[in-house]
Amino acid sequence: MNSLYQKVSPAYSQAVAETECAADLRIPSARITRIKAALFAAPYSICLERPKLLARFQRSAAGRAARKEHPLVRRALALAFVLSQRTPRIYPDELIIGNMTSKRIAANYYPEGGSINILEDLFRLEKRTIPLKLTGKEKLDLALIGLTTCRDSMGARALLKPGRFGHFLDFFSAKRYFITEEAGIGHQVADYHGLVHRGLKWMDAWAANCLENCRLQNGKSLDEDQRAFYRAIRITIEGIRKMAANLARTAEKQAADPALADPRRQELLTAAAACRRVPYEPARTFLEGLQSCWLVHVALNQEDFEQGMSFGRLDQILWPLYCEDQAQGRLTPATAAEITASFQLKTCETMPIYSERIDQYFSGNGVAQGITVGGTDADGNDVTNALSGLILEAYAQIATREPALHVRVHPATPAWFLEKAVEVLQLGCGKPSFFGDTAVVPALENAGMTTTHARDYAVIGCVEMASQGRTYNSSDAALFNLPLCLELALNQGVCYGEKHFNNRLGAATPAVEQMRSFDDVAAAFRQQVEHAVAEMVKVIGWLEATYRIWRPTPINSMLTDGCLAQGRDVTWGGARYDLTSIQVTGLADTGDALYALRQLVFETRRYTLPELVRILKNDFRDHAVLQQELVHKFPKYGNGIPAVDAMTQLAADVFADAVRAHLNSRKGRYVPGIYSMTCHIGFGRRTGALPNGRRAGKRLSNGLSPADGADRQGPTAILRSAASLDSRKWANCHALNLKFDRRTVQGKSGARVLSSLLTSFFRQGGMQVQINVLDGAMLRAAKSDPKAYPGIVVRVAGYCAYFNDLQPAVQDEIIERTSHGMES
Amino acid sequence: MAWNRKKDEETAVIFSIQHFCLQDGPGIRSLIFFKGCPLRCVWCQNPESWRMDPEPAFKAHLCMNCRTCIAACPGGVLLQPDRRKKDQCRRCFTCVHACPCGAQSRFGELHSTDSILKELRPEYPYFRDSGGGVTFSGGEATLSAAFAADIAERLKAEGVHLTLETCGQFSLDTETATDGDPLVQRLLMAMDLILYDIKLFDDETHQRYCGGSNQRIKANLAALARSGGQKSRPLVWPRLPIIPGITDTWDNLGSWADFLMDLGLKHITIVPYHRLGNAKRAWLGLAPGPEFTEPSPEALQAITRFLEQKGLNCYTPGEEEWRN
Repeated sequence: MNSLYQKVSPAYSQAVAETECAADLRIPSARITRIKAALFAAPYSICLERPKLLARFQRSAAGRAARKEHPLVRRALALAFVLSQRTPRIYPDELIIGNMTSKRIAANYYPEGGSINILEDLFRLEKRTIPLKLTGKEKLDLALIGLTTCRDSMGARALLKPGRFGHFLDFFSAKRYFITEEAGIGHQVADYHGLVHRGLKWMDAWAANCLENCRLQNGKSLDEDQRAFYRAIRITIEGIRKMAANLARTAEKQAADPALADPRRQELLTAAAACRRVPYEPARTFLEGLQSCWLVHVALNQEDFEQGMSFGRLDQILWPLYCEDQAQGRLTPATAAEITASFQLKTCETMPIYSERIDQYFSGNGVAQGITVGGTDADGNDVTNALSGLILEAYAQIATREPALHVRVHPATPAWFLEKAVEVLQLGCGKPSFFGDTAVVPALENAGMTTTHARDYAVIGCVEMASQGRTYNSSDAALFNLPLCLELALNQGVCYGEKHFNNRLGAATPAVEQMRSFDDVAAAFRQQVEHAVAEMVKVIGWLEATYRIWRPTPINSMLTDGCLAQGRDVTWGGARYDLTSIQVTGLADTGDALYALRQLVFETRRYTLPELVRILKNDFRDHAVLQQELVHKFPKYGNGIPAVDAMTQLAADVFADAVRAHLNSRKGRYVPGIYSMTCHIGFGRRTGALPNGRRAGKRLSNGLSPADGADRQGPTAILRSAASLDSRKWANCHALNLKFDRRTVQGKSGARVLSSLLTSFFRQGGMQVQINVLDGAMLRAAKSDPKAYPGIVVRVAGYCAYFNDLQPAVQDEIIERTSHGMES
Repeated sequence: MAWNRKKDEETAVIFSIQHFCLQDGPGIRSLIFFKGCPLRCVWCQNPESWRMDPEPAFKAHLCMNCRTCIAACPGGVLLQPDRRKKDQCRRCFTCVHACPCGAQSRFGELHSTDSILKELRPEYPYFRDSGGGVTFSGGEATLSAAFAADIAERLKAEGVHLTLETCGQFSLDTETATDGDPLVQRLLMAMDLILYDIKLFDDETHQRYCGGSNQRIKANLAALARSGGQKSRPLVWPRLPIIPGITDTWDNLGSWADFLMDLGLKHITIVPYHRLGNAKRAWLGLAPGPEFTEPSPEALQAITRFLEQKGLNCYTPGEEEWRN
């Protein structure tokens, strides 16, 4: 694990970088266009192969025998069976092979996770916002699988027990928190560097060695669990090898078809040869490297679930292979870009399985398979290379929802690279997102990582953090409704709507009549947050215990530093860095609410606290004037006003401290993150009125973004507010959204604006920002429903303005203009 | 009524400070909008900039009709939220303070140089990384020359790139470009870039559409052009609004092009007309201005070609390549 990056002579990298910058690799080849068209034409579906294979295994003699085995071995045998029995499918034109599911685009059904929720939509699958296509027979199968396996989910196993049933019901009416860990842990950046350069052979040999000597590497003798762990490793590696061999055989069979054109035959044979070698053996070429990553990615998806399974720093991992191929004259940048684009298109074959009810919390249909590019080595030197740019350019060829792309920015990030990233941004897919090493690295050190390892961070999924290949981060364990804790603090732990005080949800904090100062309010708020976090940690603890028995993850473990050395699965605490992350929703709303409350009650003394609470309980119904005043006239987070931003910091600190006070059941740390998926909508529906003027049921602020319509000073002020906050406790990072219309940021001048915004933000200590370039369709939606789309900056004749501030006629014109921009 | 106490050099009426502006000079800029303008162009998009003093405005689309403003008005001059006895209004702005939803609003706040610097300083990093700075806009900043010069010099001392947007209607000794109003002179010389608005070449037409003669505008431009380009002198960059049927005649464009070429000015930005100003007139209780059609992309292309044939480099706002 030590010498991570093979040294390549700087002069050579420079030469490669220059030739790369000259060629335009953003234009898709005919092949890439065809694959993309085929993917776009494919309907979304659900793949039932995995649950069927699992059921077949349970019924088989081997499966019955496995029941007597150690849970780790039992799981490994089932996984190996699934991997080796899956039907291989190779699609036309693709250079990287290996099907994610049995269909072109489908969600895997995970009986162990929350897939059963889809049964809610069983009778209207085609009529959903995101329609799913299943035959009648498949629907029947789906219902059958759902019913026969309904007690196999982690949630059911952990919570359908006396005294825990109420927590099970929480999944159906998430209010204080949403425990996503029930569905799966996923969210991993496995050690793809070790995989590509050493192969699974290395892990297999380690396990074999320990089993043979009955000792750990450090000489201690193995206990029963450790023996089971190493056996599980060897069993699953065998399963992966069979899956690769099946693919190779299918490719060879297809290649034997005499009707096939010669170039395609050659491609299939190359792919087959690669699958005969990797992932067991180390990769020798760039293509083998990507093929190796892809096969293990598929296996990881079969093992756990689909969310946030990420590739890490592919530009660093594949760089030596890329250089070697170029030096041998067997790879041109254009071919490398085509292979990379084909690889990235493979990520479009998967999707999550959410019922429409769940979708309000996690809308967008993404699974976020992250690729991180740019950044530094262990000493802090820039390691951006030609491949960093090429990966971005390959994405420009496809411009699809997956994969998620992440760019690391640090003081020595080369200008050409930032420009290239900004050009991809201008395509309007909201990618890449940007991360500031200056803020991220200290936050990771603060979570216990060494500087060397913190500098080797890669992004999990959307924004979450790992030191790649060394971290087991249940990075999306739960989402937390912070404003609700303020509601509970102002009502003795009871939600505003509740008629009976024995329906207490939170802690029994004092009545508002007894609160004499703002500090009393803050103390009650803190107590509510601590109470809710403790509840959540308790439930997650039950789930963790269930995972250890029913859903251990040997593939993940062999690719996470620490597990092989300790002989322990990641779910048993084997990883070098073990984290559980909780994300906060409604942060800006909470900060603004605290600020307004202090002003109204304790500074200007316009209302007593009980009066204000009565108004909030009544959702401002007889106080519309006050509500408007709070919305329009009170200062808010996101405008660069230190006094208000300090309240958002206070809210963030209360949450971070409450989270960081806990350890998970693997003795790993709890860390906070600041993002909300779309939980700010779901939670918002169940949260009462807030003192910042937000009415009951309205959506909450998302991530680190200002509350809806609260930013009045434009994007630089938002960035200033965000960068001014102390992010050292936020080891799971944050999501900050900026939105522009296409014209504000198009062309060379637009690119300059964007890259200088990014440079300034990160220089000021910014941690993360994602920039959306909006199209005409979205602006049309914004016009018909302005409240749903606040804060869109558009370029009017002589200046930029908020879209919602414009007259309808002007809005129409901008929509028209933006749409034109898209066609050209 | 703080605004009409005796003005000293320390204060001016500013109606807005806007950050993240991309089309008023290079890079990311903050604009200071000064109140007061000597011209009254019929197509003006910023009618709130005309008068020197703060004035009330009513944004009907924000009003929730709570009538708080009417109850609050001490003089009883507010009859309806959108109707006031104009001549009796003492401009105390009590209605604006009382209004909960921002419908009753005020254009123009008295600012000191310190209060402006305090608002601008946090933006410096964005100026630096984008090559941007501060633009004095309006209205017409030269009407508040004492204040503007003061703040310009303080910003300059802090290394900020400065741009002035001017209509050219100010007092300057046209022979040497060094005398005239010494305050205007100080202001101009503190600038790095002057975006100089030109509209109609024919004086009579200019008086008809812009409410004033263009004699001084031309003379000032000539004087600045003669001294421009020298070291420590601002770059002078003409801008011409394209108002269909008024400023876009070949005659007008040709005359200006010849005039600029004679002065040795080689660049021009054409600013297409936009309808946005009309809503603001309603807020201020002014009669709606004339509606023009917006120039088509084809028309703009033709104008660009025409000006470039005359030898000028022609740009649209935000796309300029800033150089001599």
